[in-house]
Amino acid sequence: MSLVRPFDKLPTLNSAVILLVGTDERRQQQLAEAILKEKKNFKINIHVATSLPLPAERDHVRPRIDLIAFMINMQSKHSLRNVEASLSHIDANFFLGKVCFLITGVGRMNHCSVEMNAVRKLGNLYCSPVLFCELDSEGIRVATAQRLLRMLQICAGHVPGVSALFFSSLMKSSIDE
Amino acid sequence: MEPLQRVEAASKALGKLAAHSAAAGGSVETGAASRLGAEAGEKLDLVTLFRLREQIKQQLMEYNTTVHSGEESIPDQAIEEKLFEAATEDLEREMEQAKVSFQNKTLVLQRIQLMDALRTKLRHNDSDSKLILETIKHITMLSTAILESQQQARELEEKLNEIKKRRFALKQAGEHKLLQIHTLKKKQKEELEGMEVGEMLKRICRNLQKETQMTTLIQNIFQSIIIGSKVNWAEDPVLKAIVLQLEKNVNCI
Repeated sequence: MSLVRPFDKLPTLNSAVILLVGTDERRQQQLAEAILKEKKNFKINIHVATSLPLPAERDHVRPRIDLIAFMINMQSKHSLRNVEASLSHIDANFFLGKVCFLITGVGRMNHCSVEMNAVRKLGNLYCSPVLFCELDSEGIRVATAQRLLRMLQICAGHVPGVSALFFSSLMKSSIDE
Repeated sequence: MEPLQRVEAASKALGKLAAHSAAAGGSVETGAASRLGAEAGEKLDLVTLFRLREQIKQQLMEYNTTVHSGEESIPDQAIEEKLFEAATEDLEREMEQAKVSFQNKTLVLQRIQLMDALRTKLRHNDSDSKLILETIKHITMLSTAILESQQQARELEEKLNEIKKRRFALKQAGEHKLLQIHTLKKKQKEELEGMEVGEMLKRICRNLQKETQMTTLIQNIFQSIIIGSKVNWAEDPVLKAIVLQLEKNVNCI
């Protein structure tokens, strides 16, 4: 299956594309709605997939993907494995800031089946920022949507002078040091 | 026309299935492009235009960087060869997938065409159509029979699996029991050995005691003989040593 490449298509004027990859479709939907509700001055396309690779059939109609957010649910080991399997299907250039890991279900730590260390290690290994959030709570969902939107803007090249390359160094957690 | 409708539905399902399988890996993209309507009546004022210009500049810079980094030649020949190999493999895989996808599509298309042709033919309602209808009915019957047989086979397989599982459980239990017996035997043997050693020790102890008693007795007899012979043993140094030695208690040695 074809790899997803960050630079093999031309960008669309004044628009950005985010791809949400995760097993929990209900939460993806929630997050997508929250992102769409945010005020912004550019067009946004949200693509949703349960796993990569994306089907090759519709590759020619798919726009350039600016940011891939892998959603990992702390309550399900399956989601982590799914993400790990999907990671091999994207081009190495994506890891220059255009990938982030969205860890959901952080609010209920006593029901966790995924270890925090495993998630941090994953982020470290792929040099990508790890965002922690709890999508069931309204406030955090909105905040997460705003963060993702800002990152997306940078990834799509809408912010002059700021590149997605900065993410790996600027968004590093201090615990990793 | 009921069988015809069923076949049609089946062919539709098949088409869907083929489209899905072409997506390989089961990832279904539910890409819902949702556009913001607010931007529809775009006012092209100066600020927006300026912002867009900055955007395009930034994107151009990014692409330039990518192209530049891609152009940089890698001095190591081996790495380059490896890259080529990987690229070739990727391309081959892609080609294979495209082929499969194409085949699936052709198959679906052919089936749809065939169904369409059959349907138009059936509408004519002549002797041929009757034959076709008969054939379709026959096919449906056969398909039902096949399905039933498959169901039966599956049930039998399940039963077989159940039996295998039970056998495995029994085997495990047997193994467990065997292990228990083995350990028990080992324990018994050890106990027996311990007992044997104890017995031997006791025997040796008894022997020692007997010997000690005998020695004491002999000592006393010798002493009595020497004293009874009325020899002045204190004068002869050899005799003196013997007498003094006889005084020693054998138990204390």
